[in-house]
Amino acid sequence: MCSVQDGEDVIPERKKTGKFTEGERRPCMKCGESAAVIIRVNDAFCRGCFLTYCTHKFRSAFGKSKLIRDGEKVLVAFSGGQSSTALLHLIQEGLSERAQKKLRFIPSFVFIDEGAVLNQTQEERSETCQQVAALLQQSGFPWNIISLEKIMQESNSLEKFELSEQFESLHVSEKDQEELKSLWNSVKTLSAKEEMIRTLRSRLLVSIATAGGYSKVLVGDTGTKLSIRLLSDVAQGRGMHLPFETGFADCRHPEMKIVRPVRDFTAKEVAMYNAFHNLQPLVLPALTTKAASNASIERLTETFVTGLQADFPSTVSTIFRTGEKLSVEDMDSEVDRCQFCQAPLDTNVPASSALNATLFSQSLSQKSSTSTIGGASNCDKTDSCCGEGDGSCQTQKDFRLTKEDLADVLCYGCRLVIKDMNSVDDLLPANVLQSAAAAVRRKKMKDEIQDFLLPS
Amino acid sequence: MPVKCGLCEKKAILKRPKTGDALCKDCFFWAFEEEVHKTIIDANLFSPGEVVAIGASGGKDSTVLAYTLKTLNERYDYKLDLILLSVDEGITGYRDDSLETVKRNQQQYELPLKIISYKELYGWTMDDIVKQVGLKNNCTFCGVFRRQALDRGAMLLKVDKIVTGHNADDIAETVIMNILRGDIARLKRCTAITTGADGALPRCKPFKYTYEKEIVMYAYFKKLDYFSTECIYSPNAYRGHARTYIKDLEAIRPSSIIDIIHSGECMAVKKEVKLPVQGTCSRCGYISSQEVCKACVLLEGLNKGLPKLGIGKPHKVKKLEAQGKIFTDTKNPKFVENRDADKGSMANNAAALDF
Ligand SMILES: [Zn+2]
Ligand SMILES: [Zn+2]
Ligand SMILES: [Zn+2]
Ligand SMILES: [Zn+2]
Repeated sequence: MCSVQDGEDVIPERKKTGKFTEGERRPCMKCGESAAVIIRVNDAFCRGCFLTYCTHKFRSAFGKSKLIRDGEKVLVAFSGGQSSTALLHLIQEGLSERAQKKLRFIPSFVFIDEGAVLNQTQEERSETCQQVAALLQQSGFPWNIISLEKIMQESNSLEKFELSEQFESLHVSEKDQEELKSLWNSVKTLSAKEEMIRTLRSRLLVSIATAGGYSKVLVGDTGTKLSIRLLSDVAQGRGMHLPFETGFADCRHPEMKIVRPVRDFTAKEVAMYNAFHNLQPLVLPALTTKAASNASIERLTETFVTGLQADFPSTVSTIFRTGEKLSVEDMDSEVDRCQFCQAPLDTNVPASSALNATLFSQSLSQKSSTSTIGGASNCDKTDSCCGEGDGSCQTQKDFRLTKEDLADVLCYGCRLVIKDMNSVDDLLPANVLQSAAAAVRRKKMKDEIQDFLLPS
Repeated sequence: MPVKCGLCEKKAILKRPKTGDALCKDCFFWAFEEEVHKTIIDANLFSPGEVVAIGASGGKDSTVLAYTLKTLNERYDYKLDLILLSVDEGITGYRDDSLETVKRNQQQYELPLKIISYKELYGWTMDDIVKQVGLKNNCTFCGVFRRQALDRGAMLLKVDKIVTGHNADDIAETVIMNILRGDIARLKRCTAITTGADGALPRCKPFKYTYEKEIVMYAYFKKLDYFSTECIYSPNAYRGHARTYIKDLEAIRPSSIIDIIHSGECMAVKKEVKLPVQGTCSRCGYISSQEVCKACVLLEGLNKGLPKLGIGKPHKVKKLEAQGKIFTDTKNPKFVENRDADKGSMANNAAALDF
């Protein structure tokens, strides 16, 4: 059947060939000087007005939200790339004495070295860190460099986090290195690997920030990047979490907000900003650098969105605006959370739903059609816990979480990630496994007393 | 070594696109039908005694839908009266052939058939429309007109519900399209299994969770007769981009289609975002979020030689109306005339109804 439906015809406008041909000088829309940059179809700016426009946009993002108090300590995640470089510079400008509407927070910077999952040698990793250290040192702000392996440690060991003055060498224990490697190697697909590293990175940032006494983490996601993420999140079942993943502030963690102050900038604007200020971002490899366009869901989505954007210049901004209109319902502190990404669970769905349809399809594939829908098989599993059931006993080291058990306490998107893993046993970071095991025990307790709970 | 069916002892002959399981033909049929049955039961789609019109285009989705519904209606005793309802858009070569398929289905499945045409409803065939508007926006006309045509046909037949063959791939594609077009109201609606409460005839999609590839597979192994030629006035290129994206996603991770539907089902719109209120068209009485429904605007454009009317932004329509250039009559005469004509054609075309 032709799937064109009523009223679905409003198609974004194609790129127009405007009245100014390529190479022809347009006037700046603010001052009339000859323009140096065209940011949208019809907006042309000279250098000076463009930079004013950028700083204004950056300050007003903070002003509007009133999220960060004067004198508040914030941790800025720095990756060395285009948007981080611009973010660092915009913060520097904003804090300087001559700035109008001066920013008044106190930033520290952190770089997470992800060399381990990029197959880099120790030398390559050190070299990257040296480069980053030089940039951060120049900025005059306190900074530190931490390797992703730290995520394998239990959270309390991160309390020793301090801000360094100079970079000596990476301190990575061999045990952590091995553990991250086995976790990484058990993830079979590049799509799941990308999700895995995103969640690990954000968990690490949150725990570093918490340990350091911060209450906000700033990240350098541009609107372009967030539009791509929005679509790729939808493709990976994270529709409910879009406001967290792409909004100005990610409020999923009760005590720690992740803030995206450059999300009103496009990738192009950020690159122009850096170019006009003669800033040199680092060109560091990423997971899908040089990968084919169908190598992963995120990579495919990136190719798709950039391709559309070239023909239909409103693509990125339209996707972005769609995201602005979404919210997350029931966000009280009582809500059950995903034990991996920590967003509210989106798996408590009605009978008629995509999730239940999928579970039903899976149950049909099982030889006995009597198997329970929900996938959790709790037969012939000897609980190694002492029976207290609340995790107070000390036998939890032996508590083996099956994939099905774990899936029960994960959101839809994170279930897709572990589905693409060979095994989860002992592989995920200890603190994830511990809290997941506790959540599984609580869920079992709740199931037992279910019949006696009154509807709220 | 031949692979054994995962469910019985027979030799497997296919791998399910949805789950990757190796199955024999019979076990695949069983799984396919059970899933559709479960969708129907879980969503409470039907009640005993209802008259249900199956939007039949002669294509694979609606052909398989008609067959499956008939099978399940008998097997599980839904007690439904099923009717095939086809729309003749008036596309020479394309619709003639597909209507032949529908007529054969009617005989094979022993279901009554009603055909309603654009010509009798609107006074225009798609061929005429394309001559007027060209190949750029023709799908807009067709989409808007088909939706109303199905409803009007269904109302003539006094049915309780319409079912359409939209499958999981179509719904995933629509979710992506609505994000790309920034259409928040449709984004919210498009994953609902039943639409059209208050006033309008309910429409439902029993194949909401069924993969297109499995529908083709089912038709292939059941040797169902369907018409597989694409519409000669091919759909717009923009939708094609979304379709390709979905296919590429499916190749990377087969569950992507269902994952997108899950995303759509779980999205919540901010309370402060204003969504258009559904009212009724002041000219024809059909549900519409505008004062005059899209079909009436498009039709007025055709009749006044302004084929772009209704394609662009709504304010252009308002402006022309204020200038007294369009909607000069109070009601659309063609429509009224045709509604009466329809009653006649119901009686005269008893052959087409063929109960
Ligand atoms: Zn200027
Ligand atoms: Zn999660
Ligand atoms: Zn079998
Ligand atoms: Zn109307």
